[in-house]
Amino acid sequence: MKENTFARRYGLIILAGIVAGAAALILTAAGNPKNMGFCIACFERDIAGALGLHSAVKVQYIRPEIPGIVLGATLSALAFREFKARAGSCPASRFVLGLFVMIGALVFLGCPLRMVIRLGGGDLTAVAGLLGFLAGILVGIVFLKKGFSLGRAYPVKRGESFVLPAVMLGLLALLLLAPGLLRFSQEGPGSMRAFWPVSLAAGLAVGFIAQRSRLCMAGGLRDAFLLRDFTLLAGFLAIWVTVTVGNLIIGNYNLSAVSQPIAHSQYLWSFLGMALAGWGSILLGGCPLRQLILAGEGNGDAAVTVLGMVAGAAIAHNFGLAGSADSAAEGIYTVGGIGAAGMAAVIIGFAVLLAVSLLHLPGKEEA
Amino acid sequence: MRQRILRCVVSFHTTAGAMAAERLCRREELEGKLISVPRSVTSDCGLAWSAPPGLRETLERRFREAGIEAAGFHELAL
Repeated sequence: MKENTFARRYGLIILAGIVAGAAALILTAAGNPKNMGFCIACFERDIAGALGLHSAVKVQYIRPEIPGIVLGATLSALAFREFKARAGSCPASRFVLGLFVMIGALVFLGCPLRMVIRLGGGDLTAVAGLLGFLAGILVGIVFLKKGFSLGRAYPVKRGESFVLPAVMLGLLALLLLAPGLLRFSQEGPGSMRAFWPVSLAAGLAVGFIAQRSRLCMAGGLRDAFLLRDFTLLAGFLAIWVTVTVGNLIIGNYNLSAVSQPIAHSQYLWSFLGMALAGWGSILLGGCPLRQLILAGEGNGDAAVTVLGMVAGAAIAHNFGLAGSADSAAEGIYTVGGIGAAGMAAVIIGFAVLLAVSLLHLPGKEEA
Repeated sequence: MRQRILRCVVSFHTTAGAMAAERLCRREELEGKLISVPRSVTSDCGLAWSAPPGLRETLERRFREAGIEAAGFHELAL
């Protein structure tokens, strides 16, 4: 039995990467912040702000991309009979892990998806984040090899599987029918937004194809290091190439380590923030994008993780943990980054991840 | 173009299960390797054990005896 295995193996995942990259370019052209066409961490942070869970006035908006991704994954899973109600895999630990993955991402100023999009815009400050993400994944793999596990999920009643999709529909309903209940940024990244149908359509498309292809930033690197299997990594690279080529064509490519949009040049803390996000993502079994997709497929544990990430975003901004961007005004370039509270949060995050990792290793009788 | 061959693919509920299966098979010199679980098996992105189809019964028995919970055994052309 002979066939073209390259197309069979890589076709869908590369297509998913191209769709995600193109969606990011379109959303930026339509009004989203530069190098932030898509960012799961930033958009969940904006949603937390819109609901009044934090009071950072520059980052408040119900981003329709997030409901779009979840609902796109739900539609795909239902259409292909892969929608399964499952839960029960250490939900409390997952909540905490999601919380610290979010804090790590907001210290860097972006989730793994935005990290790739920043790299595709020529943002060299994101290289520190990429190296940190790789380091975090390698630490996570060490614990996987030692037997780390949050345990299996079990079938649950069907109603459980629709919780996060229903929450997402509720968010859309609030945005469209009761915007007066929400907070909207008047300046800053939260005020930069594509027209909502464009955002929703982009989210639906990415959610649908990410569910079909299993697109995952952390999973791609895990498989590459652990199995020498580059299938999922091809999606990661396809996003990078698509965004780079697109930015070069439309003249938005700026290869530089200074004056990058919504980025800071505290390289050590970018590295450590993404190391925290990478390690946490391996323990969770997927990056923030993948958690949205799994929740859309009916996985209650992933839904809890997403709620943990939203809580993490609120904590990050209520306690001043998130990074602030470099800025230039009146000829003076000011380096942004994080303060002492953010640094402490990253260190605490590593301690918490270490504790979760050690507490979920097999006992002597199981090893 | 390359030849596709029939394999016994064992999926697991957790990554730790797949890792435990690998350790057992290495220890008992049972042929096979860890792979990314094929898309045709599940939408999950975990790990699976790929072995010659003739080993299926041995693997079923040894995994059961060792307390390694498999999610399913599949014969696939890979």
